[in-house]
Amino acid sequence: MGAEATTATLATSAGSLEPPVGALHQDAGLNQTFMTTTIDAVVGWGRKNSLWPFTFGTACCAIEFMALAGSKFDIARFGAEFIRFSPRHSDLLVVAGTITYKQAPILRRIWEQMMEPRWVLSVGACASTGGFYDCYCTLPGIDEVIPVDVYVAGCPPRPEAYLDAIIQLQQKIQDASYMQDRQNRSHERIQIG
Amino acid sequence: MTSQPLGLNQALTPATAEHRKAFETKAFEILSQKFEAAMDPRDRWSLTAIVPGSRLRECVHFLRDDPAMRLDLLLDITAVDYLGYPGHDAARYAVVYNLRSQRFAAHRLRLKVWVEEEDPQVPSIHDFFEIANWQERETWDQYGIDFSGHPDLRRLLNHIEFTGHPLRKDYPVRKRQWLSTNDPLILPLEARLEANGFVVLEHVAVNSPSVEETDLLGKSAVEKINYVEKAK
Repeated sequence: MGAEATTATLATSAGSLEPPVGALHQDAGLNQTFMTTTIDAVVGWGRKNSLWPFTFGTACCAIEFMALAGSKFDIARFGAEFIRFSPRHSDLLVVAGTITYKQAPILRRIWEQMMEPRWVLSVGACASTGGFYDCYCTLPGIDEVIPVDVYVAGCPPRPEAYLDAIIQLQQKIQDASYMQDRQNRSHERIQIG
Repeated sequence: MTSQPLGLNQALTPATAEHRKAFETKAFEILSQKFEAAMDPRDRWSLTAIVPGSRLRECVHFLRDDPAMRLDLLLDITAVDYLGYPGHDAARYAVVYNLRSQRFAAHRLRLKVWVEEEDPQVPSIHDFFEIANWQERETWDQYGIDFSGHPDLRRLLNHIEFTGHPLRKDYPVRKRQWLSTNDPLILPLEARLEANGFVVLEHVAVNSPSVEETDLLGKSAVEKINYVEKAK
């Protein structure tokens, strides 16, 4: 296989973000035993299909999450069925419910305890905006405290809305560039050092 | 004739309108004679007896233990802020006690105590009803009513850095208050364990009750507040 062919495949793969992750090589007489792709595509593919959710459930949105995790809607189809109750095991924080000012530092600390890369799903009206609790005690949206990747509308949202959010998050994860992040991190390290 | 099981007493005074009316008439008669109670004209559906704060404790004690009353279930203690209430000429606050009986279904009444704005004090009844401990804490938290004699009058619902009492009418409706760190729960927990005879082998270095000091991560109070801005 020539060097030109490899470069061409890499370029196409990096340009288009769609699966499949690479191009299967049929022309080198190697009986289809290898394929080429980009690190970005493979890492994104692996990450998006093995999300481990941590549920920070405080209200009815968490009940809908139970329906989602059950057999009827079944997030196992998206590789996200392994629900952990330790932030150190998980990479998807599902904030499902009303968050008060009293809980805000706890939520922040749990988010801080999660390993990178990590994503946050803000589920329902309360977590996203405070909902109808426009009062002294309720946080007007968790994005005051932690960064949010996908907001889910609804009060509470139906499981289909959850699934839609997970699919959108998967797209976002696939779109992110692992190599670019890596480069940025090493630049940061050099600057700090 | 065999002795009747306890449940039959309820059948004798079911919660029908006439049984409740009969109880309210009888109860008010006793309360007005014994404890200078007055009827609250605002209550158009059932009995609310206004009792002077100085007579509250003996009144509650009587209602709980008197065999004809048996108001042995304290449903709730709450308060009312009458600031700006149309045509109101009594004290600003009222503390309200909702009582009912576990034995007689028709027995239920409310007690009301006027509380002046300058000195919002009511005697605590935590020794008559265990649950009054937390109910009084909540009422203090939300309305700033001081229950004298309460063993542990701390905030119950709002966080430790909260200032003011949010259900007072003069609390700004949209005023929100940030909490910079977790409420210290470990220290009271350890104290409670030790009070129950356990030995705490290793004390966890958690944030102290004073929020001015550093927390687990060693941040000062000012830095902790900044977590709000950093998220954006």
